[in-house]
Amino acid sequence: MGPERAPTFHDQFVELFEAHFQRLYRYLSRLSGDPELAADVAQDAFAKLYGRGSLPDAPEAWLITVALNLFRNAASTRTRRLRLLTPARGEAVLADPPSSPDAVIEAEDTRRQVRQALDRMPERERNMLLLRAEGYSYRDIAHALHVNETSVGVLLARARRAFREIYGGSTDAS
Amino acid sequence: MHLDEERIQRLLDGELSPAAAREAREHLSGCADCRRLLAEAEREEREVNALLEMIDQPIPPIRAEAVALRAELMGAASRAQHASLLRRAAAFVLVAGIAGAAYAIPGSPLPKWVHSITEKMAGRPERNTVSADSRTTGVSGISVEADQRLVILFSGDSLGGQVRVTLSEGSQVQIQAPPGAATFTSKSEYLLIGVKDPAASFDVRIPRSAPWVEIRAGEDRLFLKEGLRISTSGSGSAGSYFMPLTSPGTPSQRP
Repeated sequence: MGPERAPTFHDQFVELFEAHFQRLYRYLSRLSGDPELAADVAQDAFAKLYGRGSLPDAPEAWLITVALNLFRNAASTRTRRLRLLTPARGEAVLADPPSSPDAVIEAEDTRRQVRQALDRMPERERNMLLLRAEGYSYRDIAHALHVNETSVGVLLARARRAFREIYGGSTDAS
Repeated sequence: MHLDEERIQRLLDGELSPAAAREAREHLSGCADCRRLLAEAEREEREVNALLEMIDQPIPPIRAEAVALRAELMGAASRAQHASLLRRAAAFVLVAGIAGAAYAIPGSPLPKWVHSITEKMAGRPERNTVSADSRTTGVSGISVEADQRLVILFSGDSLGGQVRVTLSEGSQVQIQAPPGAATFTSKSEYLLIGVKDPAASFDVRIPRSAPWVEIRAGEDRLFLKEGLRISTSGSGSAGSYFMPLTSPGTPSQRP
């Protein structure tokens, strides 16, 4: 038996991927409302990290920043994207037979209103809310969104308030 | 002095230093107003998180290895000058069409010739790769040096055909399929087969001398040759193996 080998960059990458792919995907999916786009962008962000050949200082903030840039560019380049793995389409929502049509309609209404509220929020507040919901640290959030780390708490409270006001307004109106 | 909004939110999110958190809790124990604000923030956060969860979709089953492969291909694409991947693929098919007739003839000089042309068009490949797609020979395929680790990855929206693996005396891994059934991309240690015809069957010849060849369909490992040791999810023995190609996560249709 030889000595235990030091982890290679590939090993580090796999570990980072296992720990953070899901939450980056979920953040992007909530941000865009497009799970397929989110899966592509999340993969591309990790692929770019792999392409660097070494880990950046703050890998999670780096991934968010890169993913946001990719996401902004994605609309114009969607057709050019490499589709290596096409994830299952999000059809699970309708897969189970509905127990009560009213409950299904109500849940669908809520989903639509949540989506609308997110879409109507100012971009920075939407990002703050969604990043924190995935448990990203204040440092990563500040780094990725270019805000002062000492005021992340206030900005988060403000973002939550904005979401609730817009969501509350839309449910009152319907 | 009451806790400000920043400190209440930080307390909620575990973002205060231990000393500051202790101080904040001491204040809370004697201040009903701040306790109420903290409880309210906590309740609102729970509500918002529950609403956000309603729009979540299932996490796609994507593996780190597949993303590393994506990185390899993205790197290859960005290194290719004046040509997008799509244009390269089109040129590849054109050249392969010319060479296809001679592809199956052992010792033919054409594969080398094809190689030199594709090399010029696509930048320097890391492996000696020859591809052919011809309606005159009735097959399309790719041939790759197998002197190092090689992962053959079948990918496609829907897989339903089968793979036949035979061990050969040659030095290259050769893969054949009906014309138009798949696209072939070779980069570094990966050989990606984009399956276009879900029912297509693939013939894979692997040199007995190959040190390490793995065949995967999406997530699933179908076959592994590690030195002389062979393991497979399919059937067969003594140098000839069959395995069904199924989409990741679906049970096999065939034994």
